[in-house]
Parts: sequence; structure tokens; C-alpha cells
Amino acid sequence: MTGGERSSERTAFRLLLPPWVILGAFFLLPLGVLFLMSFGRRGTYGGLKPIEDLGTYIASGKFLAQYARSLHPIYLQIFWRSLWMAVVTTAVCLLVSYPVAYYIAVVAPARRRNLLVGLVVVPFWTSFLIRTYAWMFILRTEGLANRLLMASGLTSRPVELLYNDFSVLIGLVYGELPFMILPLYASLEKLDLSLLEASADLGAPRRSTFWRVTVPMTMPGVVAGIILVFVPSLGQFIVSDLLGGAKTILAGNLIQNQLAVARNTPFGSAVAFELTAAVLALLFAYTVYTKRTGQDVLL
Amino acid sequence: MRRRATLLGVHAALVYLFLYAPIAILVLFSFNRTNQTAVWQGFTLEWYRSLLHNALILSAVRNSLLVGAVATAIATVVGTLAALALGRHEFRGKGATRALLYLPIIIPEIVVGAALVTFFGVVGLRLSLATVVIAHVVFSISYVAIVVRARLSGFDRSLEEAALDLGARPLQTFWRVTLPLILPGVVSGALLVVTISIDDYVITSFVAGVGATTLPLQIYSMLKVGVTPEVNAVSTLLLAGTIVLILVAQRLQQPPPERAEG
Amino acid sequence: MRAARRLVVVGLLAAWVAAGACARRGDEPYPGPGEKKLNLYIWSEYLPQDVIAEFTRRTGISVRYDLYDSNEPVLAKLQSGVADYDLVVPSDYMVRILIHLKLLRPLDRARLKNLGNLDPRFLNQEFDPGNAYSLPYVWGTTGYGYNRAKAGHAVNGWAPLFDAANGGQILMLDDMRECFAVALKFLGHSLNSTDPAVLKQAADLLKKQKRLVKTYNSSDYENILASGDVAYAHGYNGQLAKVAARDPAKFAYVLPKEGATLWMDSVCIPARARNVESIYAFLDFIQEPEINARIVNGISYASANVPARRLIDPRILNDPAIYPAAEALVRCEFVKDIGEATELMDEYWTEIKSF
Repeated sequence: MTGGERSSERTAFRLLLPPWVILGAFFLLPLGVLFLMSFGRRGTYGGLKPIEDLGTYIASGKFLAQYARSLHPIYLQIFWRSLWMAVVTTAVCLLVSYPVAYYIAVVAPARRRNLLVGLVVVPFWTSFLIRTYAWMFILRTEGLANRLLMASGLTSRPVELLYNDFSVLIGLVYGELPFMILPLYASLEKLDLSLLEASADLGAPRRSTFWRVTVPMTMPGVVAGIILVFVPSLGQFIVSDLLGGAKTILAGNLIQNQLAVARNTPFGSAVAFELTAAVLALLFAYTVYTKRTGQDVLL
Repeated sequence: MRRRATLLGVHAALVYLFLYAPIAILVLFSFNRTNQTAVWQGFTLEWYRSLLHNALILSAVRNSLLVGAVATAIATVVGTLAALALGRHEFRGKGATRALLYLPIIIPEIVVGAALVTFFGVVGLRLSLATVVIAHVVFSISYVAIVVRARLSGFDRSLEEAALDLGARPLQTFWRVTLPLILPGVVSGALLVVTISIDDYVITSFVAGVGATTLPLQIYSMLKVGVTPEVNAVSTLLLAGTIVLILVAQRLQQPPPERAEG
Repeated sequence: MRAARRLVVVGLLAAWVAAGACARRGDEPYPGPGEKKLNLYIWSEYLPQDVIAEFTRRTGISVRYDLYDSNEPVLAKLQSGVADYDLVVPSDYMVRILIHLKLLRPLDRARLKNLGNLDPRFLNQEFDPGNAYSLPYVWGTTGYGYNRAKAGHAVNGWAPLFDAANGGQILMLDDMRECFAVALKFLGHSLNSTDPAVLKQAADLLKKQKRLVKTYNSSDYENILASGDVAYAHGYNGQLAKVAARDPAKFAYVLPKEGATLWMDSVCIPARARNVESIYAFLDFIQEPEINARIVNGISYASANVPARRLIDPRILNDPAIYPAAEALVRCEFVKDIGEATELMDEYWTEIKSF
């Protein structure tokens, strides 16, 4: 290691001291406590069942009981459905957001950009709960959407828009959209437009310029957006409760139910850590991939 | 070219419509004369008047603004530090640090909330507004770090190196070169944090102590008895305040015309 | 990189200030007689604001309160050991759990002046024998409300909630124990049954019922019924009675003939409560006949206070949905903690909700 690298490392450690301290004390430590709990068993009144003899407890394999339980088909089905909803949400967000971010960053007049970015964020200064209720109001049987549909003659009877996968998806996409638009915008905004012009000047069709130049150059934003959207939608539970009529259970609902309602902290934390492990594995696979392609677009 | 721009414009307009439809409804119904049904019954300012006397909502707004401001300030600074370290330096444990920064957004909020309240219990930290701030900082740092890091990754280090080669001190280089370059990232990171903090319900519900009811907690308990126009009214006011803030910020950020760049 | 160092300092300083602020709050000396405070943790819509204002006006005690809409947060907050509440209002089975976990402080009867106002029928319940820890605040039943225009025939049992003709017109509480109580009662069992075969039978019934259910909702079910989106809404009597009272020609509350959940929310003192003077002042205050009547009139739930009855709005007092006749309650039961069977029920519930 050269002297320059070493001093760079020292600077890095200095920079990292506050984030390490804060996240270590108020995040890793609490999680560690919860992780330990996932190896326990639920006490009769919630909380933990006391363990009489640690040695026999571990030898009997009972400490893995919660993880074994989570492999039951009911729970596997819940995980699968959550994964699917998160994938669809992320895909819809990406498809919808990219053109918007492109419009704001490239097409719209420069002086309007900040305003347009601001406008993406503004709706999110109202309570998420209120916005979700507003969607319920729009999608209800006798709600606005149905009135418009019937007035326009598209349907003669109200369509059931609320309390199904469709309304859950609307809610999820609505809630996550800015988390896709903002990073996409950030990376599109610093795109060197002269490169696009050069590509066009050299006779490249617009489509191939887009796929060969624009998309690869904005990949960091795309990845940041995907992560910012995919991960929270995996753990969502309020949207499926309110807009889905609590008729489907997603992984987030399962954890929430176990931790807050069934008072089964061990099982709840076991599921939570499985979810976390799955996402970590995904991210790990991604870093391996980026190392190979030499594109470090994550943190 | 023109046709494509128009299409993009139309698409963007539709997305903005989607984003604002629920907002328009809640603003509209904050002026509705009745609180019984979801039918328009005529204009009134009644709900804004009664809002002024609703001590619960007012203190919840105050708590939310306070928590949002403090948490954003801390998280923005700390998150930016992390992004600078990751984007500008090589060091041992970089992978672990990355992972650590991703964890708070990977782990479901509910788990973070449950873990934090258990932990506060273990160390005997009484639940208060301060514990809410701590929780908000914890889950916000990552958002700032990711956004700022994305911004950093596209920039050529040669600008900074040139400044250093030309004899600028590291401090000068940071303030004159690096910070202006990453500022849009820092600002959008901070905006993101304010947004998340002011709106967080799940984690806050775990760590809020006596008298630390924030607006989402207050709203949730009011929604239990139906969306009252008062809830709509307070949201409308917050919204109006935000828009004014953004317009002012935009005015301030606008470069003088001769220096305007693309 | 001096700027970076400065940023580090600022960051640490901010974190330290935040940490310091809570440490200071934690070390706060116990409030002396000079500063009179009361921290309440209570169900939303359970205490009219004018009653709180009256209490403060009369005693000079300032009241801070937080609200919840299910029992579990109460347990979580008290279990954390770091929430400063002076009074909580959990339901029957939760009282039992809190007592068992030693999270409550025994009542000092000598300091309770208005104890005699309480109807003995509601005292000495199984969840707290001898009322060592809890005093009844309000009580009620869990039945369902229905829309007369949409319900074809006379309704008096649970059957309509399982009738295929009502598909898409049913709302159920999003609550495991309450839903199981409906199925168990409909099948003629105790709602605290722990027999695995019986639980399986109830689970199958609920699974079949799910296709008819439009939404599970525990928060604003009465508004959904009132808006006309569903014809039947399973829920607590007070809120549904309010809807029925607003438009009796259109809505009614049913306490099903097979029996239902009987519940009682009681005032309790958390073990770590600090403002003892204020607590007892408040406990006496809410059992004054005139104040108690104001509470009942405001929230439409029945109290256990006898002398308050003559001051309660006759429309509420004579509403069988709020003050049911004794014989209507014969088949009703309190929800009890079912111990180990909880996990089985929970598994069924997850299954019902996830297919």
C-alpha cells in the first residue's frame, strides 16, 4: 500500500466515523438483539419463553424452529406473492419514470427543471395515509373513477376497482414513484448531451443512440432507482391492508402481524431476517456481476 | 424530434396528473361544507377555522416539523460524508460499509421499529421526540448516501485533481469544486429525507413517547373515525407551505441569466 | 480535508446533541407537587375533548395523551419499559396479560372515592379478580351493522355473514380473535375454544367466507357501511350504533342470537407510572356521575357507572345496541388468552388471509 493510499484510507475513516457510530449504535446493535430473539420461542403471553438449559436447547435444534416453520407452504406462497408484487411495482415504476425523468432532464427548458423536480416531491409532503385514503375514495364502488367511467359510457355498471391486486399495485406504484424518478433524473441530468449529438451526427439511429449511449450512461440512476423502489415494496404492508382490503398477506404484513399482533417476536424476526437475507443475496449477486463487467454503479 | 418531445411531454403530464389526482381531491374536500359524506356540498373555510383550535393537530405538526428538520440536518451531513468516503477513497471494509448503508432501506421498517424500541428498552432510553429523531436519522442516512454517491460517480476526479495541482488547499477544493458538483445530489437527498421523515408512520409509531405524537400518528388516529375535513385542511396547509418553499428555493437557485447553462 | 473534518465534527455534535437531549429527558427529576401532569394512553375517540378541558380547569393538571386503535401497542409500549404513561385503557384479555407480566400497579382503594358508583355486575371479572388492577371504563359487544335496504329478510343471527347471496357485501373486522369468535359462535362453540378440531372447523368456515368478504377493516368500518359500499359490517357496537342512530330507517345493529364477544375496556395504572396524585384525581373525576354521563353521551359506548345513568341521553340509554338487556348477553363471552392455541389459530388466520 502506498503512502497516498494510506492517507486516503485515513481520510475515509474520518469521514466514515459518524455514519459508522450512528448506524452501529442505533441500527446494528438493535438488530443484533432482534436476531438473537429469532432463535427463541414465543412465551405464553408473548415475549420469550425462558430457556432452561442452553446446551440442550441448541443440541435439540429447537433454536431453528422458527426458521423451519417459515418453510411451510403457506409462508412460501406469501414470499412468492410479495416478490412478484415488488417486481411488478418496480417494473411499472421504471417504465413510467424513465420518460418522465428524461423529459425533465433533457427535453424541458432548463429553467423549469427544478420546478418539475420539486413537483414530483410535493405530493409526498402530504401524509401517505391520507393519499392512500384519497385513492380509496377515487377507486370505491361509488367513487370518482367509477363515476367517470360510467359518465363516459365505458361501462354501465360500477367496476370493482378497490380491494384487489390492481388497487394494491396502484398504491404501491404511487408511493414509490418519486424514489424512481429522482435518481433517474440525477443521472440523466449530468448526461453529456454532446455525446448524444455526436452519436446522432455519426449517423446512429436515435433508437440505438438511446440504447447504446443514454441507457448505459444512466445505469447508476436506474440501479439506484430499482433498489430504492424494489426493497421498500418488498416490506410494504399498509397499502395491502388499506387498498387491498387486508385480503392478501404480503411478507411485510406477515412480519407486522407476528411482531405487533400475534406477539410472536421470534417468528416475526425470523421471517424478517429471511427477507433481509434474500435481499442481501440479491445485492451480492449484483456486486459480483458489476465486478465482472467493471461497472461499479452501486454505492 | 419535435414529435418525440411532444410525446414525452404528454407522458410527463399524465404522470403528474396521476401524482396529483389524490392531492386535488383532498384539497377540494378540505373546503367541503359537510363532513358526513363524500359528496360536494358547497364551499366553506370552517375546517381551517376549527383547525386553529385543535391543539392536538397543531402540536403534532410542530413535532413533525421539528423532527423533520433535525433529522434531515443530521442525516444529510452524515450521509454525504459516507458518500464522499465511498466515492472518493479506497479503504479496507468498503464492501462492509456499503452493505451497512444498504441495510436500513433493505430491512422492513417494521423490523427497524421493533428492534429500536427493544433496544431503547434495554439501554433505558426514555421514549421521546429525541428517540423519534434517532430513528429517523438511522433510516435516512442511507437515502442521502445513495443519492449523493450516484451524483459523485459520474464526475471526473480530474477536476478536483486539477484544483489540487493548481495549488488549491483540500478545503478550498472541497468547497469550490466538490461541493458545487454534488450539491444537486445533496439537495435531492435532503428533500428525500424531509419527505420520508415527515411521512413516516411505521417506525415512529414504535419509538414515539408521551407527547411525541407526530402528524402521521395523529392523522392515523383521526382516520380511524373517517377522513375528517380537518385532516384534509392540515394537509392542504402543509402542501401550500411546501410549494411556497420550493418556489423560493428555486428563485434562489436560479443562476443569473448570463451564466445560465444547459 | 479539513472541511471533511469539520463535517465530522458537526455530524458528531448533532448526534451528541440528539443523544444528550434524550438522556436529559430520561434523568428528569420526578415532577414535584408543583407541576401537575397526567399522561394518558387511550383508544382514539374514547374521551371527549371537553371532558379533558374540564379536568384541567378544575384540577390544574395538564393532560397529555396519545391514542391507539388496538390493544397490542399498549403491550408493546409498556413492555418497552421506556414509555411514561400514567394511565392506559386496555381490554379484558390484555388486562390479564399485563397483570401476568407485572406491568401494572395495584390500585390503592383507599384513594378511590367514587368506587361505589360502579355497577357490581361489571366488577370482579375473571381477567382481574377483585379489581386489584383495573376499573371498568366502558363495555360493549362485537356484532354487526347492516343496511336495511340491502338486506332482504329479517336479520338476527350470524347467518347473513356466511350467506353466498351476500357475496361482495360483507365487511369483517381485520382481527383474528374477533373473526374466529364469529365462526365459533355460529358453529355453536365457545369463542375461547382451544380444541384443534373445533378450530379447524372454524378456520374452514372462515376460509369459505373469505370469497364473500369485500374487505377486512378494523378502523373505519362504520363509515364504509354508511357509505353504502357494503351491506353488512362486523364491528363494535358503539360506532355502529352511531351510524344507526344517524339514520335508523336505513341502518341497524345486530347482537346475534348465537352470542358474540363481550368486551370491557378498563383503566389501569402502568407499573412505572409517576404522577400518582394526578392519576387518582382523574380516576375519581371520570366516575363522577355528571362527567361519566358526558363521556357516554360523547362516545356512544356504555359505562358501568350507575348514578350516571339518569344523566345519560335517553336515546343512548334505551338503545339496545349500546345498553343491551341482560338476557341478550347470556350467550356472550369475554375473549380470553388461549395460550398455546394462539399459535395454531394464528397459522389458520395467516392461511385464510393469504390464499
